[in-house]
Amino acid sequence: MRNLVYLLWILVYTANAQSEMSATDAQALEAKVKKASNTTETITSSFKQYKHMDFLSNDIESLGKLSFKAPNLVKWEYTEPFAYSVIFKDDVLYINNEGNKSDMDIGSNKLFKQLNQLITNSIKGDLFDRTQFHINYFKKGSVSEVHFAPKDEDFAAFIKAFHITFNENGEVTEVKMLEPTNDYTRIVFKDRKTNQSLPDAVFAH
Amino acid sequence: MRYLPISLLLLVWACASYPERNNFQSVETSNASVTNPYFSNPDKDYVYKADIDLYKKTFSGLLIFKKLGARHHRVVFATELGNTIFDFSIKDSDFIVNHILPEINKKMVVNLLKKDFRTLVTENLPVLKTFASQNEYVFETEIDEQAHYYHTIAGKLERIVQTKNQKKKVTFIFSAVHAEVAKNIQILHHNIKLSIRLKAI
Repeated sequence: MRNLVYLLWILVYTANAQSEMSATDAQALEAKVKKASNTTETITSSFKQYKHMDFLSNDIESLGKLSFKAPNLVKWEYTEPFAYSVIFKDDVLYINNEGNKSDMDIGSNKLFKQLNQLITNSIKGDLFDRTQFHINYFKKGSVSEVHFAPKDEDFAAFIKAFHITFNENGEVTEVKMLEPTNDYTRIVFKDRKTNQSLPDAVFAH
Repeated sequence: MRYLPISLLLLVWACASYPERNNFQSVETSNASVTNPYFSNPDKDYVYKADIDLYKKTFSGLLIFKKLGARHHRVVFATELGNTIFDFSIKDSDFIVNHILPEINKKMVVNLLKKDFRTLVTENLPVLKTFASQNEYVFETEIDEQAHYYHTIAGKLERIVQTKNQKKKVTFIFSAVHAEVAKNIQILHHNIKLSIRLKAI
């Protein structure tokens, strides 16, 4: 009986285990993601977002859609429980808040500019920039998880780390943004489609 | 001479208290305390979509309230994308800034938010005076030595009016109330162009 408990414990532990990746595997993953990212012209995907704060009884959940068109057009749209979308285009954020449209010039705002760039890059998974991040690679069963911690102190005060999960094809399936307090926002992508035709009208404000 | 009665009248009106100006009659106080039940359930996460109009600018995000103890609340404002803009704890008479984005960490802004949120989450207050008009009762009380008037209809809190020198300074309006949750809350500042609309999600 005791052995059975040990066995079960080992099985459960192995299933959830997160082990550091070897340097070779890490290089292979990076190459795979970069290759996939370079050949990605468009992405559409649904997502579910979980905002986790330790003091809350439940995570705050929202649903939405993501549209991406290379090189840097991003539309991030929430459909439930509220209608809110934001389009990142050049140095401007175009916001549609339940029908009320506004825009925000982020050209002069370093934080927003970085966030814009990071969102674009994290959708593709391409954050592998050692001048900007401390990077750690982990293996979790068949998926890979890479932790990107911003080196810029001002940015790190806003987001402590990005944890990005990749499937076997080097596609992003999950993005977790950790705040300095360890509260986090976890975004899980579903029904991801790449390189399908995506009209510019999707990004019209 | 003709203007004297009018001047006197204006003077009297100017000295009148906020309830008197609004045609409320003073009545005997029957309630020892007044209660705001809208953030009082510790098992509930109060999550609102918030739209803030400040002068000509608009901001939006999620405003989250959680009761953590008898006189202890946490108030967090985050963007729709989940990034925390500010995170405050209100515990007894303490106000703790757990986190705030440097861009909005201005003394005036923090003081304004501190006052508004303290009024919103304070649950029980002693009644100093009571006024009535038709089916509406108004209970006068004080938060941080500032007069607040709690407007109730059939025992339900409809509005809180914060005054300064007997003039309306901030009005908090609670509507679409179900099971002690106000689905809609408006916070209207009368001396600055600031209004906050909250919609429960």
